[in-house]
Amino acid sequence: MTWYEIKKVFSRPGSKAAVAVLAAVVAVSCYLATHIAYVNEQGDNEYGRAAVMRLRAAQKEWAGVLDTEKIRQVIEANNRVNQSPEGQAEDVRSGNIAYGRKQGFLGIRSLLNYAYAEGFRISDWYRADVLTPDMADQFYERRIGLLKDWLYDETGEAYYRYSPREKQFLVTRYETLQTPLAYDYAEGWVQLFRYAVMVIMLCMILLGYLVSGIFAGEFVQKADAVFFSSYYGRNKAIAAKLKAGAAIVTAVYFGAVCCYSAFVLWYLGADGYWLPVQAHWSAWKCFYHLTVWQKYLIIVFGGYVGCLFISLLCMWVSAAFKSRAAAVMVPIAMEFVPSFLGNLSNAAADKIIGLLPDRLLDLDVTLNLFHVYTVGHYVVGSVPLLFVLYGVLASLLVPVIYGRYRRTQAQ
Amino acid sequence: MELVMKDLSRQFQKTTAVDHVSYTMTQGVYGLLGVNGAGKTTLMRMLCTLLKPTSGSVTWDGSDIFRMDGAYRRLLGYLPQDFGFYPDFTVRDYLLYIASIKGLRPMNAARRTKELLGQVGLAGAEHKKMKKLSGGMKRRVGIAQALLNDPKILILDEPTAGLDPGERIRFRNLISELAENRIVLLSTHIVSDVEYIAHEILLMGEGRIRSAGTVGELLHQMPVRVWQITVPPGQAGRYLAEYAVSNVKTDADGVQLRILSQEQPAAKAAAQSATLEDLFLWHFGEKAGERHDLV
Repeated sequence: MTWYEIKKVFSRPGSKAAVAVLAAVVAVSCYLATHIAYVNEQGDNEYGRAAVMRLRAAQKEWAGVLDTEKIRQVIEANNRVNQSPEGQAEDVRSGNIAYGRKQGFLGIRSLLNYAYAEGFRISDWYRADVLTPDMADQFYERRIGLLKDWLYDETGEAYYRYSPREKQFLVTRYETLQTPLAYDYAEGWVQLFRYAVMVIMLCMILLGYLVSGIFAGEFVQKADAVFFSSYYGRNKAIAAKLKAGAAIVTAVYFGAVCCYSAFVLWYLGADGYWLPVQAHWSAWKCFYHLTVWQKYLIIVFGGYVGCLFISLLCMWVSAAFKSRAAAVMVPIAMEFVPSFLGNLSNAAADKIIGLLPDRLLDLDVTLNLFHVYTVGHYVVGSVPLLFVLYGVLASLLVPVIYGRYRRTQAQ
Repeated sequence: MELVMKDLSRQFQKTTAVDHVSYTMTQGVYGLLGVNGAGKTTLMRMLCTLLKPTSGSVTWDGSDIFRMDGAYRRLLGYLPQDFGFYPDFTVRDYLLYIASIKGLRPMNAARRTKELLGQVGLAGAEHKKMKKLSGGMKRRVGIAQALLNDPKILILDEPTAGLDPGERIRFRNLISELAENRIVLLSTHIVSDVEYIAHEILLMGEGRIRSAGTVGELLHQMPVRVWQITVPPGQAGRYLAEYAVSNVKTDADGVQLRILSQEQPAAKAAAQSATLEDLFLWHFGEKAGERHDLV
């Protein structure tokens, strides 16, 4: 039965087109993620596998523990490049040559921009250029200091946004991060995370389309009378539809995400999987203690939970309203609700936004957001809450859909 | 083997589609005759557990069919009037899927599918997509799916719609063969579909069973007689306006009319034996359209 339900979905020309669109998006994402440049000694951009190898070699030269000595060396090296004739020149080619010389430690340089910023929310690309080697020992202290300044500044946005316990929670997370961090070539993961949201979001929309017909199809095709009057029509055949939906979500989602991940990591390399996420500038402020590999698993499984929940919601709409069109609207609505709530700009709306299912689809960003919640005596970040909340809701939707469809009367 | 309807009613908002129907069916073919909107489909849908009655009950060998749930549906084969299917499935896949939701094991399902495709004359079309079939072929697939589980209760709603005369005759013969050891309820407004094969006919109108019995019993109960008369074309209008006319035939001698009337409409009118079609017209003449529409 389950096999035939899956066959029903994929025998529709629209479903075949949806799978083709997903394959195309995965291919485009793979291209975008792996299209990284290495700037050579002449200041020209190089692309392709050879360029990736050269970039990797340049960054590997700086690999190791990010202690005060390493920070000092990076500040010195950065200053040397800035003071070189190419660094001083104003023409584009010279600028490119200078940039090329920084490629090996560019990741650490970006961390310096954030660590030594003038405020927690300030991002200044040139901040690293004004540092002196004697400032190297403040690197980790400043990370914690900037957070505290942001949280406890009475004129700032964060002061009233978080309760004292929530503030303490965030400070403790920062203080307990194991330092010194480490640095390595991790371009494969960085690029993988960067475009993963594109693949996951499209999976969600296309999965919504694919599963929208599983329950409504019987009515749309007027096959409901035969279905519900059959022996298993009000029990096992409904369970088979749910199993088919879950199987389609699982296969299509993991198929797309695994293809994308495998290609990007094969092309760019999987080095740096063991690094703490804070070792890359994009997650420098992250308060979750994770390695890059753990972050990958969280992004992938979070996306899966999100897609599964939204697909089950589509199936429920499809079963309850007997309409494929209404069900297809669910993933689109999931995209618009956060934008609508975002306009409200108040603390309550902010708390709700942090727990909307779309957050699970973009965990690369969610992990960097300062969404914290007080649950009883505990303070937790939004990420574990999202997993629990939507895992439970998805589990609850299964019997709800089953019961709703079982009670259907075919008029 | 007894399917009992007791005071069965079904309302849709202010409309009563089925109005206190009580009837008992045992083994044999039952023809449910009525015009469109008579409540035939609603009645059948309740018998298939697709619709719950507003009041009354349906029991199978003493057990409520809605409480029996799957155990009752296991005995059931249903061909709906508006038979839907999965357009991108092949005929074979469609039947195998229906067999699976009817609880047939895969080996048994494959054997039964092959057997039934032969029986309904679709042996060569098993790999055709459902959407590529003609109307008659789709109907035959519909009949095959209803028979997959060798049902004890076979409910067929307008099964001959879309079939050509040859297919209809073949279908009638198939139903006659199947009638042994099961209940077949067949709804139609094509009188000849049931005239020769039904053991009992139920005439349904405005949600009620107006009359029921064998063809002989029903014709015997008919309160009017049937007359045949040939008149010049100029006089036909007068008879059409005054009497229920079940047939009009124009030939070189004039217009031949088949009139339903208790009294002899004219001295030269000859008495004829009544048919089920005459009876149908007598019961549903007004609903089916006024006398002029009927001819």
